[in-house]
Amino acid sequence: MGDIILTMKDIDKSFPGVHALDHVDLEVRKGEVLALMGENGAGKSTLMKVLTGIYKKDSGTITYEGKEVEFKNTREAQDAGIVIVHQELNMLGHLTVAQNLFIGREFKKGIKIDDKKMNEEAKKLFDRLHVDIDPKEKMSNLTVGKQQMCEIAKAVSFDAKVIIFDEPSAALTESEIEEMFKIIRDLREKDIAMVYISHRMDEIKVITDRVTVMRDGSYVGTLITKDCTKEDIINMMVGRVIYEEPKVESAVPKDAPVVLKVEHLNAGKMVQDVSFELHKGEILGFSGLMGAGRTETARALFGADPKESGDIYINGEKVTINNPQDAVRCGIGYLSEDRKRYGIVVQKSVAENTTMASMKNFTNGIFINKKKEREVAEKYVEALATKTPNVDQLVVNLSGGNQQKVVIAKWLTRDCDILIFDEPTRGIDVGAKNEIYKLMNKLVAEGKSIIMISSEMTEILRMSDRVVVMCEGKKTGELDISEAKQETIMNLATREIE
Amino acid sequence: MSKKKTFLGLKGREAMVLGIIIAMVVLFSILSPTFRTYPTVVSVLDNSYYITLMALGVTFPLITGGVDLSIGTGLVSYALIGGYLIVHKGVPVGVGILACIGVGVLIGVFNGVLIAIMDLPPFLATLCTCMITRGLGPALCGGFGVSWPSAISEQGAFRKVFKFISANGTVIPIGIVLMVVLVIVMSFVLDHTRIGRYIIAIGSNKEATKLAGVNVKFYHMLAYIISGLFAGLAGVAYAATYATIYPGAGAGFELDAIGGAIVGGVSATGGVGTILGTFFGVFVICLMKVGLPFIGLQANWQQIFTGIVLIAAVLIDVVKKKK
Amino acid sequence: MEKIKQNPLVKKVGFNRIVLIGVLILMYLAFGLLTGGSFFGTSRIMNTLNYVYFLGFLSLGVTFVIATGGIDFSIGPVMFCCSLVSGYSLMTYGVPMGLSLVMSILIGVAFGVFNGYLVAYWKVPPFIVSMASMNIAKGIAAVFTKTQSVSWPQADGEGGWYRHIVSYNGFPVGLVIFLAASVVCAVILNKTKWGRYILCLGSNKEAVRLSGVNVKRWEMLAYIICGTLVGIASVFFVATYTTVQPGYGDQYNNEAIAGCVMGGTSMAGGLASISGTVIGVIIISLLQQGILALGFTKEYQYIITGLIVIAAVYSDVSARRRKN
Repeated sequence: MGDIILTMKDIDKSFPGVHALDHVDLEVRKGEVLALMGENGAGKSTLMKVLTGIYKKDSGTITYEGKEVEFKNTREAQDAGIVIVHQELNMLGHLTVAQNLFIGREFKKGIKIDDKKMNEEAKKLFDRLHVDIDPKEKMSNLTVGKQQMCEIAKAVSFDAKVIIFDEPSAALTESEIEEMFKIIRDLREKDIAMVYISHRMDEIKVITDRVTVMRDGSYVGTLITKDCTKEDIINMMVGRVIYEEPKVESAVPKDAPVVLKVEHLNAGKMVQDVSFELHKGEILGFSGLMGAGRTETARALFGADPKESGDIYINGEKVTINNPQDAVRCGIGYLSEDRKRYGIVVQKSVAENTTMASMKNFTNGIFINKKKEREVAEKYVEALATKTPNVDQLVVNLSGGNQQKVVIAKWLTRDCDILIFDEPTRGIDVGAKNEIYKLMNKLVAEGKSIIMISSEMTEILRMSDRVVVMCEGKKTGELDISEAKQETIMNLATREIE
Repeated sequence: MSKKKTFLGLKGREAMVLGIIIAMVVLFSILSPTFRTYPTVVSVLDNSYYITLMALGVTFPLITGGVDLSIGTGLVSYALIGGYLIVHKGVPVGVGILACIGVGVLIGVFNGVLIAIMDLPPFLATLCTCMITRGLGPALCGGFGVSWPSAISEQGAFRKVFKFISANGTVIPIGIVLMVVLVIVMSFVLDHTRIGRYIIAIGSNKEATKLAGVNVKFYHMLAYIISGLFAGLAGVAYAATYATIYPGAGAGFELDAIGGAIVGGVSATGGVGTILGTFFGVFVICLMKVGLPFIGLQANWQQIFTGIVLIAAVLIDVVKKKK
Repeated sequence: MEKIKQNPLVKKVGFNRIVLIGVLILMYLAFGLLTGGSFFGTSRIMNTLNYVYFLGFLSLGVTFVIATGGIDFSIGPVMFCCSLVSGYSLMTYGVPMGLSLVMSILIGVAFGVFNGYLVAYWKVPPFIVSMASMNIAKGIAAVFTKTQSVSWPQADGEGGWYRHIVSYNGFPVGLVIFLAASVVCAVILNKTKWGRYILCLGSNKEAVRLSGVNVKRWEMLAYIICGTLVGIASVFFVATYTTVQPGYGDQYNNEAIAGCVMGGTSMAGGLASISGTVIGVIIISLLQQGILALGFTKEYQYIITGLIVIAAVYSDVSARRRKN
């Protein structure tokens, strides 16, 4: 490990109503990969945005290569050698790969942009990183993984001394992650400092040298990766030991009736010939890596996206589901991983969101029965212990966990018997997580059936009665919880498919 | 995908639109003997210049994912102001032309500020400037029509840039040469300079372009300035082609230009488009405008057809995207 | 300021509405003073009200469309198309008056269906659909009337009874109808399933779709409601002014949208206020009268209205930005 290249000291940043960074310190050395960890909302991304000039800090100092700096924008940070590889891809789909790589700093011949030279330089860059991408290809034609490689290549092409990876693996397949790690190791050899933000503990162990942990906008501490255990890191992240007891045995009787049967579901590359059964009163976990096709399967089943083929049976009866309306009519409710975009109408009230899917029961032909609407909404606020001053509160003002409860209330109001929870606790803090778990258990105890898609192994092991594992659009295994171990699931999730 | 070259090295959409043009010309020529005469050719071209110029300009805002609805009433307004200065204030024609273009650029800057800096929705902002420019010309010039110096007068030489009439009365529509030159220049700007590159980038993903350190506000604004500049040029072409400019005209001109650009393959949602495509697209509209009366339909049918063609052109994109 | 906003009475009526009414009163007084009192006469009030009727219906209509997050700036020319085609049928082909009025409204509905279908089911951007409709409406009107203006019957002429919907023996019937229609619109928007879905899908269409709601149908409905109201607007236009000319109508787009946006309907969709639209339309109409009363020409109306819409939209945009 080399000398210190970047020090952030006493960084403080407030947004209206939120103290986002509370006197945070960070130190990065040449030739190391520093993991930056913390729960959602711990302030990791904010800190990096302060570093690269997207946000202006309220106080504190940033020392880079021995000099105090303050970048006004990402461009200045780039020029100095600090580059972010973003979580959300920043691609310009209509331009070519090379045009994307050199956007903002094109080679020129007089006033003409020298596209030929840009293509050559891009080719050279890719060769150096051992990546096979045609610089002349349109960006939108590349896979997400390849697009991510382009982002990294772009960072490298800035002669970056510090590269920040903001959840780079979120959209990558296993093999693509491997490929990315190869590049990262290569860059480490070249004495480049890297900050790696990720939630995936296993990746942290594999690729990073040190781990800095943040919690609620404050700096907690730094550990040497190889000297610490997962539990050490988790303890620092949550501030207390959480011990999640995996479920040992399913409580659902083996002969419980099948409420949902899916046969040979096909929808594009991400959903290939998926079949499974869901029993009454069980939680069926869907495990797999990001991009395994779990969400796509759920969306195709729910009719949110078109499907090519496949039969769906509800309580033994064959049904046609072409759009969400059909699905809801069949008693299926879908809770998306992206609540803000797909779950709730944030600018509307709790009551309005609660009755969204079941307006029919709240109208007398024409008019909405607002009294009944309020009553039902209040009933569920109470039953689900949703924290809101009243049911007229706009959902935008609730926390993530409470928003999730509003979505659950929506489907309960519709009396859905089958609920698809897609990453039910993403973006929800630890306390609220447990509440959601309790709620799910209560729901199945009442006879509902749940499909739970989750990328968190502990969540899968703790909640599921059975586990379906998917990999690259195919179902690769189905396990009873009694035989489901972390290793077996991981094996199935990463199985090579020829 | 875009690499597929089909016909004469043209991209798919351009070749298709060229095919439509040829088909229309053939159809009109068969149905009407008068259509296939030289004066008709000149008339089609005469009627196309100001639309072509507007369309070349408006292609840039369209590619950013916006639109400029102010060009139609704008060009009439600019021509009124220029003409007013020449006729009533006695300024030289050159100054009048510069004024016409200059006001266009100013309105372009105004649109750019509203959209790029103040973040107003483009169609709404330019709908407002459309009304403002509609009032502006008549308000400044007293609400009367203006005639720029006629072709025979000494000062009317500028008209010859578009339509050359030799001593023995032969008419040569050399304006088309000017258009071709401008098409080449603007193609270069769009495809091979930073201006064009960043305008396409903004239409693709504005946020990402900003993160790449591009001065997005400036280039976004520039798209509207280019549009304003070409509206100014269109004003000159309009003044050169038509005898008198009436206040209150111009509403709806923008639709011919925007329709032409979209028919020519500019995406209504931004990021995609070529100057050559726009150029061809405009001719489809112009042929309809001039050609329909030749086959016995009122000129107003053109408006209906333009509307339908506009929808059809966008539907082609929508259906393609679905696949 | 905050204190005033928290006052229960103010909260009940709505702070924005109070500001709007304040603006309206101030404007009326200002025009009155600037014209040396002549603006206070009843004829100005009648002129303003006449303008309010047709513009009000346009504005109510476009409020529904903007609530979905869309836009329709074909409403002005479509209104003229309605009046021209049915008026020409009335005067030239002898279609009975009642039927002509129904025809006016039906043409409006037809455009609403056309626009809504393309936007909702084919996902054509609303501004493209607006441009196309505007062209088609102008084209149809011009072709149908052979580019001639149409004069509907005078009050004392045959079939002149239709003009009573504006005023009967000096009583402003139009105002009563317009206010009644506004109440109906407000009820639709705030108390019924239709309005609920229109507002919600304007806020987050995908979330509403995934709740199992047929969003296409409701989005289209907003355009159909708009078309219907545009049809009704055309009836009021001819009942007020009798003469319609093909090729015009553009300026009313702006004025109608101005009334709507001034009244607090957000261009981003999901947020709409009918009462706001009503006050907004009255302000805009008064402004048009005021500009003329001060001796300016209609050119200045265009310019001033344009600037006002820009100001209104900007305040909407910057309010949203502050929230985020």
